[in-house]
Amino acid sequence: MIVAALLVPALVGLLLMIGRRLVRGRTAAWLGAGAMTVSLVLFADVWEGRADVSGEVDVSWIEPLGARLHLGVTVVSWPFLLMTALIGVLCCLWLLADDTSPALVGLVLVISAASMGVFSSLDLLLFFVFFELALIPMWFVIAWWGSSTSSSGAGAAHQSRFKNGARYSATRFLMFTVGGSALLLVGIVVIGLDGGTLQVLDAGSASLAAAVLVCLGFAVKTPIVPFHTWLPDAHSAAPTAGSVLLAAVFLKLGTYGLILFSTVLDRFEDVAPYLAIAGAIGIVWSALACYVQDDLKRLVAYSSIGHMGFVVLAISTQSSAGLAAAVFGSVAHGLVTGLLFFAAGSLKERFGTASMTRIGRGLYGRSPWLAVTFVLAAVASLGLPGLAGFWGELLSLRAAYEVGDVLTKPVAWTGLGLALVGIALTTAYFVRAIRLLAQGEPVPHDGDRDLGRREAVVMGALVVAIVVLGLVPALVLDLYEPIRFSVAR
Amino acid sequence: MTIPIDWTVAGPATIVLAGALVALLVDAFYPRRTWLGSGLPATVALVAAGGELLRGDAGTYPFAFSAIVLAGTLFVVVASNVMNFENAMPPGEYHFLLLSAAAGGLLMVGARDIVTLVVALELLSLPSIALVGLRQGDRVAIRSAWTFFLASVVSTAITLMGVSLLYGIAGSLDYAKLRDGLADPRVPDGVVAVAVVLTVVGLLFKLGAVPFHVWIPDTYGGTSVMVAGFLSTVSKAAALGALLTLLSVALPSAHDAWQPVVGIVAAVTMTIGNVGALRQDDAIGLLAWSSIAQAGFLLAPAVAIGTSEGLTAPVQYLAGYALANLVAFAALAVVLRLRGSTGLEELRGMARSDPWMGIPLVLAGLTLAGFPPAVIGLVTKYVVIRPVVDSDHVWLAVVMGVNVMLGLAYYLRLVVILCDRPDGDPYVSPSPPVSVRIAKSAVLLGAGALVVLSAWPDLLLTHLP
Repeated sequence: MIVAALLVPALVGLLLMIGRRLVRGRTAAWLGAGAMTVSLVLFADVWEGRADVSGEVDVSWIEPLGARLHLGVTVVSWPFLLMTALIGVLCCLWLLADDTSPALVGLVLVISAASMGVFSSLDLLLFFVFFELALIPMWFVIAWWGSSTSSSGAGAAHQSRFKNGARYSATRFLMFTVGGSALLLVGIVVIGLDGGTLQVLDAGSASLAAAVLVCLGFAVKTPIVPFHTWLPDAHSAAPTAGSVLLAAVFLKLGTYGLILFSTVLDRFEDVAPYLAIAGAIGIVWSALACYVQDDLKRLVAYSSIGHMGFVVLAISTQSSAGLAAAVFGSVAHGLVTGLLFFAAGSLKERFGTASMTRIGRGLYGRSPWLAVTFVLAAVASLGLPGLAGFWGELLSLRAAYEVGDVLTKPVAWTGLGLALVGIALTTAYFVRAIRLLAQGEPVPHDGDRDLGRREAVVMGALVVAIVVLGLVPALVLDLYEPIRFSVAR
Repeated sequence: MTIPIDWTVAGPATIVLAGALVALLVDAFYPRRTWLGSGLPATVALVAAGGELLRGDAGTYPFAFSAIVLAGTLFVVVASNVMNFENAMPPGEYHFLLLSAAAGGLLMVGARDIVTLVVALELLSLPSIALVGLRQGDRVAIRSAWTFFLASVVSTAITLMGVSLLYGIAGSLDYAKLRDGLADPRVPDGVVAVAVVLTVVGLLFKLGAVPFHVWIPDTYGGTSVMVAGFLSTVSKAAALGALLTLLSVALPSAHDAWQPVVGIVAAVTMTIGNVGALRQDDAIGLLAWSSIAQAGFLLAPAVAIGTSEGLTAPVQYLAGYALANLVAFAALAVVLRLRGSTGLEELRGMARSDPWMGIPLVLAGLTLAGFPPAVIGLVTKYVVIRPVVDSDHVWLAVVMGVNVMLGLAYYLRLVVILCDRPDGDPYVSPSPPVSVRIAKSAVLLGAGALVVLSAWPDLLLTHLP
C-alpha cells in the first residue's frame, strides 16, 4: 500500500513530464491532484496503531551493503506523511489554470513522492536516496518557474535577469543542501559500519563523528542558524507552489531527519546543547530579520527559520514532550506557512510584486476575504491560542522548561529565554505586516480582486486544518500518549 | 631455461594481440578503408578473449579488472564506428593500436612481477600515444600526443628509478619476494619510502592523479572523442588494477610509507579535478576534468587496502564509472559527428530535441555525480566511502563528501543545459551514415544498463568480487 502511495504520484508525475505536450495545464493539475489524493487516502488508511510499524514493506535490495527496500509508517512519520500528501493535493489544485505547464505539475508530484519516500523509509540508504531525489526537480521548479524577488517591472531585458536571479537562488539552495547531505552520507556510512546495519529500527552508533556529521547535514536542511542563508532567497524566488513545497515539506525533511536520527545516535546528547542554542538564536535572529523585510515572501521565509528554531529546540531536549512538540510544530508550520505562502502568492499574482509597500494598505477594504485569510495565517504563525501554531510553540517551551534528559538546566533555560524574546519579536513583526497590508486607509489598485474559487478552496482547506488542529490538538498529540497534557485536554 | 607462463592470465591478452594483428592485416590486404573490415576481427577477438577470461577463476580481482578492460574496449570499438568514412582516421591502424593498448592493460592487471608491469605499462602507453595523434593532418592531435608522450616518458623514468631502488633493497622484482624482502626489519625505512613512492608515480600518472593530471585535459581535448573515452576508462582501469595489486600484494609492509601519500593524493586529486571542471565550456573538457576528480574517488579506498573492502570498493566504483563515462563519451562522439562541436552551448536542449542521445547523457552525468535517479552512482559513492571510514580516515571521507557537492555543481550545469529549451531548430545531419546508428545503439545499450543497475544495484555489487 505504501508502495502504491509513492508510485502513483511518481508515475503520474513522470508521465506528465514526458507527455507535457499532450495534456493541457488544467487537465494535468487535475491528474496531479487526483494522484496526490490517492496517496493521501492510502496513507490515511494504512495506519494500524501507534505501537506498530504500519504497512511495512521489507524487500531485499542491495545485499552486500545490507540495504533493503524497507518502508513503513511509524508514529513519528504518519503526521508528516499526511501533511505532505495534503500539501501536495493543494499545490496541484493551486496550479489549476490554463497557463500551467504540465511539466511543473509533474515536478511537484515527483517532489512530493520523493518527500513521502523520505518519511516512510526505514532504511538509511533508502532514506538518503529519496532525500536526494527531490533536490534536482526542486532546482528546476525554482530556476525555471521562479522569479527574483527584486522584480520591479516587467520587460524583456529584466525578465532574463530575473530568471538568472532565480537560477542563482536555486543553485545556492542546491549547493547548500547537497553540501549538507554529503556530510549526512558520510554520517550514514559511519552509522552503518558502527551498528552493522542500515535498518533504522536496529541501527545504533556510538560515534561522535556520526552525530556531528548527521546533525550538520540536517542543520543545513532544516535550516539552523548559521546555515540558513540559502533559505530566504530560494523561498522567495520560487513560484508559489514551489515556495509552499519548500517551506511545508522540504524543511520537514530536516526536522524529521533530526528526530529519526536522534534515536539512532547515542552521542546525540553531545551535540544537543549546540542545537538547542542555535535553534533558540535562530528564533530571535529570524524575528529581527523579519522586522526589516519589505518583501512578504522573504518575511514568511525568515519566519520559517524561527519556527524551525522552536522545533530544533524541542528535538534537542530528547524528552517525550519534546518529541510531541517537534512533530506538532513541524506539521503546524507546514500548514500555517503553506497558507502564508499561498496568500503571499495570491498577492503577488495580483500586484506583480510581493513588496508590502507596493501592494499598499487597506486590504480589508480592497479584497476582504484575502485579507482575512492572510491575517488568520499571520496570527496562527505568531502562535495565537486556538490555532495550530500555538501548541507547537507552547510544547517546545514546556519541553525546554522541563530541561529533559540530555540538556543541562542553564542551556535549556537559556534557550527558553531566547525563545520567549523571540515570541515577543515575532508578534511584533507580524503585527507590523498586518498593519502595513490589511489595515489602514484603502488605496485602490488595478489588481484588487478578492479570492477566486480555486484560491478559496485551497486556502479554505488549510484554514480548516489549522483551526481543527488548533482546537483539537489531541488529534496529533494522542499519538504520543505517555505525556499527559494537562493543558491540552 | 623455460619461463613458466600462466595461460589463464596471459590467454586473453594473447588473443587480443592476435586480434590486433589480424585487424591490421585485413586492412592491409583489403584496403577499402571501411571501419567494419578491421572492426569485425577486433570485435571477435575481444569477445573471444572475454570467453577465455571466463574460463578462469571469476572471483578474483584481476578477473574483475580484466573484464572491465575488455568490456570497455569492446564498447569503444563498437562506438568508434561513428568515425567510419572519416578519411583522416585509418581504421586498420586504429584498431591495431586500440587492441594493443588493451592487451597492455590486460597484462598490467595480471602482472605479478615489476618487470612485467613496466613492459605492460609501456605496451599500454605507446599505442595510446599513437592513438592520440592518429588523426592525419591534425596539428592539435599531434600536439596533444606530444604532451602525452613527454609526460608519459618522464613518469616512466621516475617509476624505473623507484623500481631500481626496490630491486636494490629487496633483491627481487617478483611481487611475492618483494613483499618478503621489504618485511625484513633491517631494511632502511627511508629508502623504502622513497622507492615505493617513486614506483607508484608511473601508475598514478596513468590514473591521472594530481600532480600528474595536467596532460589529461589537453590530451582528451585534442584527440578523437572515443580515444579520450578509452583513456579515461580502460587505461584508468588498467592503471588502478595494477596499482592496487602492487600495493596489496607487493608492498603491504611499506604500508606506512604509501598510505598517507595515497590519501592526500586522492583528496587533492578529486578537489582539483572538480574545481577545474567548473570552468569548462566544452563537454569534453568537462568530462576530462571530471575524470581527474573521479580518479581521486577511485584512489581513496586504497588507504584501506588492508581490509577486503579496500579492493572491492574501487572495483565496483570503477565499473559504474566506466559505464557512465563511456556512455557519455560515445554520445558526445555522435554529437560531434552530427553537429561538428561538443561545446556546451551546442548541447542546449538536446534532451528535448534529440532524446535518444540527450537522455543517456543526462543519465551518465547524474551517475557520475552520484545523484538519484541514477541510484547506481550514489550507491557506488557509498561503497567507496565505506572502507575509507572503516579505516578511520574520516577526514578523507568528509573531503569526498564535499567533493560530491562540488561535482554536482558542474554535472548539474551539464544536465540543465541538456534539459533546457533548445535555441531555434537543432541542426540535423541530412543523412547520418548507418555506422552512426551502431554507435547510437551502443549508447542506448549502455544507458539501458545504467537504468537497470539503478533499479537493482545488487546486480553489480554481488557479481564483482
